[in-house]
Amino acid sequence: MKLQLANGSRRRECLGRCIDAGGNEIVILSKAIIAITLLLATGAVALDTAHATDALVIPKTLQAVIDNRCVDCHNTNESESDVRLDGLAKMKLDERLELLNRVQQQLYFELMPPKDEDPLTVVERARLAEWVSTELNRHNASKLEDKLRLPDYGNYVDHDKLFSGQHKDLKAFTADRRWLISEFIFNAKINRLIDHKAVRTIDGQQMSVIGDNGVNLGTRFGGGTLRQSITNPFLLPTNIGVRYYDNTMLTGGHLLTMISNSKKIASYMSSEQAMKSYYPAMYRIMKMELDHRETLRSREKFLNSYVERVVQDIYKEKNDALLPEFVRITVEQIPDYDTDGDGNPIKRTNIELLRTRYGEDLQAVYRGIGEYKQDDITFEQIIEKCEKQWFIFGIHEKRLQARVTLMKVLMKQWDMALIYEDISKRNIRQEPYKPLSDSEMDIITSSILKHRKKGDRYSQIIEKCVNDWEQSFKAERVAAGQADEGQVADLLDELFVKIYERKPTANELQENVALLNAYMKKLDHQAAIAKLIESMILSSEVYYRFEFGQGPADEYGRRMMSPRDASYALSYALTDSSPDEELVAAVNSGKLGTREDYRREVVLMLKKRDQYYIIDETVQKAGFNSSITNSPIRKLRFFREFFGYTKAMTIFKDDARFSNGTRYDGVKGRLVDEADMLVDHILQKDRNVFEELLTTEKFYVYHSGNNEETKAASDRIRKIYDYFRAYDWEEFTEEELYKHWDFINEMKMMGTVFPDFETNAKRRKNWVRTFKSQMTSYTFRYANGQKSAAPYDATGMAYWNKSDASTRTGQQMRGPEVGRFFGIDFANWDYPTTQPAKIKNRKGMLTHPAWLIAHSLNLETDPVRRGKWVREKLLAGTIPDVPITVDAVVPEDHHKTLRQRLDIKTGETYCWDCHKKMNPLGVAFEIYDDFGRYRTLERLEHPDNLIEEAPRERGLHIDGRPVYKTLPVNAKGYLDGTGDKTLDGQVADVIDLTERLAKSARVRQSIIRHAFRYFMGRNEVLSDSKTMIDAEQAYLNSGGSFDAVIVSLLTSDSFIYRKSVGK
Amino acid sequence: MAIDRRTFFGISALGAGALTLSPSFNHLLASPRLSEHPHRFIFIRKSNGNLPQTFSLPTFSEEEKKKDKDKEAFEADLDQHELPVWLRALEDHKSNMTILHGVSMTVSGGGHYSFSGCMGAYKAGRNVISGIKRTTVDFELSKLVPSPFNHVELSLTGDYSTFRSGIVPGYSAPARHQRNYCYADPQTAYDELFKSVTNTSAVDSDNVLLEHLYEQEGRRLKNLDGKERMKISNHVDSIQSIRDRNEKVAALSGVISQSLPVIDKIHASGGPNASLLEKQEAFTDVLLSALISGLTNVVTFTIDELSTPITTLPGNTSRVDLHRLGHSKNIELRDLVKASHMAQVAKMVTKLKSVPEGNGTMFDNTTIIYMPETGAGHHGPDTEAPMVIMTGDNSKLDIAGRYIRLPFHATEGHKTLSNWYTTLLNAYGNPIEHYGDLDLEMSRKKMHQTGAIEQFIV
Repeated sequence: MKLQLANGSRRRECLGRCIDAGGNEIVILSKAIIAITLLLATGAVALDTAHATDALVIPKTLQAVIDNRCVDCHNTNESESDVRLDGLAKMKLDERLELLNRVQQQLYFELMPPKDEDPLTVVERARLAEWVSTELNRHNASKLEDKLRLPDYGNYVDHDKLFSGQHKDLKAFTADRRWLISEFIFNAKINRLIDHKAVRTIDGQQMSVIGDNGVNLGTRFGGGTLRQSITNPFLLPTNIGVRYYDNTMLTGGHLLTMISNSKKIASYMSSEQAMKSYYPAMYRIMKMELDHRETLRSREKFLNSYVERVVQDIYKEKNDALLPEFVRITVEQIPDYDTDGDGNPIKRTNIELLRTRYGEDLQAVYRGIGEYKQDDITFEQIIEKCEKQWFIFGIHEKRLQARVTLMKVLMKQWDMALIYEDISKRNIRQEPYKPLSDSEMDIITSSILKHRKKGDRYSQIIEKCVNDWEQSFKAERVAAGQADEGQVADLLDELFVKIYERKPTANELQENVALLNAYMKKLDHQAAIAKLIESMILSSEVYYRFEFGQGPADEYGRRMMSPRDASYALSYALTDSSPDEELVAAVNSGKLGTREDYRREVVLMLKKRDQYYIIDETVQKAGFNSSITNSPIRKLRFFREFFGYTKAMTIFKDDARFSNGTRYDGVKGRLVDEADMLVDHILQKDRNVFEELLTTEKFYVYHSGNNEETKAASDRIRKIYDYFRAYDWEEFTEEELYKHWDFINEMKMMGTVFPDFETNAKRRKNWVRTFKSQMTSYTFRYANGQKSAAPYDATGMAYWNKSDASTRTGQQMRGPEVGRFFGIDFANWDYPTTQPAKIKNRKGMLTHPAWLIAHSLNLETDPVRRGKWVREKLLAGTIPDVPITVDAVVPEDHHKTLRQRLDIKTGETYCWDCHKKMNPLGVAFEIYDDFGRYRTLERLEHPDNLIEEAPRERGLHIDGRPVYKTLPVNAKGYLDGTGDKTLDGQVADVIDLTERLAKSARVRQSIIRHAFRYFMGRNEVLSDSKTMIDAEQAYLNSGGSFDAVIVSLLTSDSFIYRKSVGK
Repeated sequence: MAIDRRTFFGISALGAGALTLSPSFNHLLASPRLSEHPHRFIFIRKSNGNLPQTFSLPTFSEEEKKKDKDKEAFEADLDQHELPVWLRALEDHKSNMTILHGVSMTVSGGGHYSFSGCMGAYKAGRNVISGIKRTTVDFELSKLVPSPFNHVELSLTGDYSTFRSGIVPGYSAPARHQRNYCYADPQTAYDELFKSVTNTSAVDSDNVLLEHLYEQEGRRLKNLDGKERMKISNHVDSIQSIRDRNEKVAALSGVISQSLPVIDKIHASGGPNASLLEKQEAFTDVLLSALISGLTNVVTFTIDELSTPITTLPGNTSRVDLHRLGHSKNIELRDLVKASHMAQVAKMVTKLKSVPEGNGTMFDNTTIIYMPETGAGHHGPDTEAPMVIMTGDNSKLDIAGRYIRLPFHATEGHKTLSNWYTTLLNAYGNPIEHYGDLDLEMSRKKMHQTGAIEQFIV
């Protein structure tokens, strides 16, 4: 493309600094183009920072500009704003850089010279900006450039120019880069290194899932303690919007955390279990030592079980004389556990509790009782026999005390019949004696004969024997010498493949052999291997992803990524995992070198539906939600971050304002899970995705996402309701209810009647009450003629019980209170079993309660932030940073609505300049309160305005909020900035607003701009213009497919071409 | 063995850093600004809440009793009163003691557990990583009194039948969304904290590792410019910082070895046979040595949580566990549990008072906070959270020697856990306007609730 320059010459355009046909250096001429320079030219203008000097040289032509246009006001005599530009060259480096930073910002935002002075010419401004940029980059000191690399500043590139087509001939590329891994990639890497496998039952089928890192789960739910002990130092910022960019760097904090992590990972990888399963070369090196350990373990285990028999066989009748003298221990008196009204002792019966509380000691006690219990001996005698056995064995005095005390507690406080029954049921017995091989028995016998002394307890004999064998094994290993070079090379191959996913180079091999030898001089083999693994894990290669061009450059200096780098770039674009088998195969067969190759792989990945991902472990844990998708996870995650509705998980709300007796924290997980389900549903359909997201009237409300299962669950409670309503169930006695046992059993009405009803008086006590609670709840769900009702549990139950409705992962579906956000009246709700289903007064994700809460404060709505979100995310607009002088607090006045108070605060001219971009958009959301509940009246929640306290009665069909005075809601707003006169103008409320936004081309383009940032990890520049236009066309031509946008982006020049601008 | 702090810092102005399991974040690599006599903080967390009535003084006048029962604000001089039986181990230190009543923990909430929430004044949810909202107060304080380890966390927990051992996830947080680790048995704590003198071959191999990394990453710098260069040079600089600190550790090994505690062999291999009291005592010994040797100035010690086995506690004749105790009305056993804790606090105070420092003792520069993780009972309520605080003579808090009852929750003048932590931070050099979450009921009632408890600050 040709540009007309100020002097009338026509020159070929490039980025930032350009060379014209005659070889003369020129500069680009607009603010946006300067931005390109700033953003992309790090390498182009960067000098070798290692050799940067402090000296400042101002080109004569620029000095003249500064003298003529700046120094007049910024000199010794007139230092406007305390800025002096007449002594730049003589300033200390820090001061100069600070000043140049201020100059750069003034130039960029065209704030200087002031409006009442003659402006700089475009050439002067551009040259000055270029020089300032160069100077600052010499010292890596440009604050503006750092800022403009951040996602929040992406919109500073002129939107109209980006999509005008005027710049589509610019050649796009991304700079060669190391890109720090994200928190998600880190998790995937760790899971791979420690072989953490996550399995979930989804729709009744067990399958492996990606993204369950066990970090939020207790061991009871499958969480791993090793996995939980790994700290993730690569957390992304929590802002709403794109969060993962290529401009973050490895720091000391990362390193310190990884030092700790690497020890744990290395300890696992070098463990006996891991090397046997995954590291054959490591196992070969360690084999002799492991065999020795195995032998030791076998002998020790054998002796621990049968030492008494063995010594008896060896010493026969002489054995007793060698035993230690048995001295009984003293145990304090055990009191009764409790007594009933008549003073009779109450016996404890909760065997399950007993098992969980006493563990290993209880097992020993059970074994002892099982061994010694006979009809003709008392329990006191059993205790004595057990005690003697443990004493002679050499159980530590403390444990002995604990076990004997436990036996006495059992005798005094527990129902012994239940204990005996439990022992019998669990069949805890010693295995019958079986000697080891003859040769092993010979060794054991000779060792015992060698070491046993009179009075030794058995454990002492065992300890002496084991020590002796350990020493001899060690001597044997020393005699055998160290591992040979071939074995070590194989080990390094194995570790490189596991940790770096590649083979080592010859140099790396040599270097790491030396390192391992150095460790082996200080540590034993296993510890040395662990140390080597630590060293490898701490390499920067683990923490950066590499995206570098390879091969011949095109005429613009761009090169395709190496196939290996490309495979990672593609895989990380859509997932958090390393390349899958198909991608690796493409690399290995040379089929990842063209745009078409990229397209083929991206399409394949997008079509895959056989792999499930955990969307968000936090959501999953908050109420046993499923939080799953079978689309490549980063597709859904884009919209999660773009909309930011997940922030509802971290906003704290006052439960009393939600509804008395209802915990917001208990239901927010379901709300966000269902928001995810909705987005996923729209993405799976992949038609008019943006419009659907903005205007859908169908939502999930207390639904698992499996229509068939949810309908069955709803039908089931209908059947129960219909069955019992024919009876006078409110007057049922225990016996009357028990007559319906067959039906109750068929329906599996948990918490109501148990099979042991007739014998278990304790459980029988409350079962009628539970039944009536359920029927009461079913009744208000059906009493107004509803055809179907939400199948939630009327009473809370422990997590292991099956509930009325299950999630797709087979757990209790909790959180029916989610309906409160949508204003559902549970006493009048005809529950839609097929969802998403139409919900009144809602339109699109911006009216989803999760989004509304995420963009609210603890106690109030937040029109400013909501407006800012619309301006920046949908209209590609910019809002300046909040000036530090601004006191951004809305004044209290409990006689006014929030909007009224906000108008007073932000209506002043000083504030309005910025707030006019946000408030007219944000106030349209005032038809919802800060919980996302639709309203026409705003409650003035202040003690002075209280009309009625919250009702004491609680229930899902009761609004448990206090009553306050109210004022009418005014949600009229104003839309501007779509660039479409038919859309801009006054809006009645957010429903009206979103309808218009969904029709706007600018909104569509703005979403694409954010998608670009998300998938590229950087801000767009004008040279990405074609990429943007192509992505939009792909969307339009495909009927609104977001997959088409992704394919377009990941096959664009911006993605596939790399250029060295600082190695 | 006691060692004078002046002597200690006479040997080195920088303290003994160690590579061993330092928690995350850059501030830990910042150059220590060690003052001559830094203040020390010991946080002792306990489970099951603290029942308010057990903190009342038996010799209260009728008027005081009424105020206490009605939860009205008042103060009493501890010298004029007897302590509850469970607190008697601290009888000799009443002038350093504060019984602090009326601070609410609704900001951290809980139920059975508050996890990191009670240390950071936020609701931590179900101990999920994303529930860790901010740097906890102990880590914030450790920034004000830097030391080689900065912060040490110990925990005496278990699974009802056995004690945990090794290095396990902790409850403090060095930063948002970051979970600290902690030492779960005394021997592991000993091995890790004093590794620089007890396991030199491990330290040597750490040094080889760092040297290798430094060279390897240094080679990558060749031909790199601009931001790409910075990406690697940052890493190289970080490695060098750790090497520098390790050298200082090596130089201090003599001093550390003088402070080594004696750990009984029953604690070997995680100490499966050690009793509750033995574990408590050994942890206290390790904790004191770490403070006295200057390895850290801030310790957080979870002295129990609901699953800590207490069947070996003398007097627990019914052999109930802490969880069950929480559901029972057995006040006597609750007091026994607290008394065992107070024995450790008394040991800490006595020991620190025996270590000369400046014109006084180490205890002069020490604050011990004994607090429940979940307010006033097993499941709360969190509207109250009685604490025992021990402060030395150089304390910057004016609270010693008093029973202080602040206005009750959500009444005028009430103070939350956030106010209390803001007070600690302000008093010791962090000028933060308000640390921690706001109480939503007070917000709803439009009551003032930000800032420090001014009357506490000297």
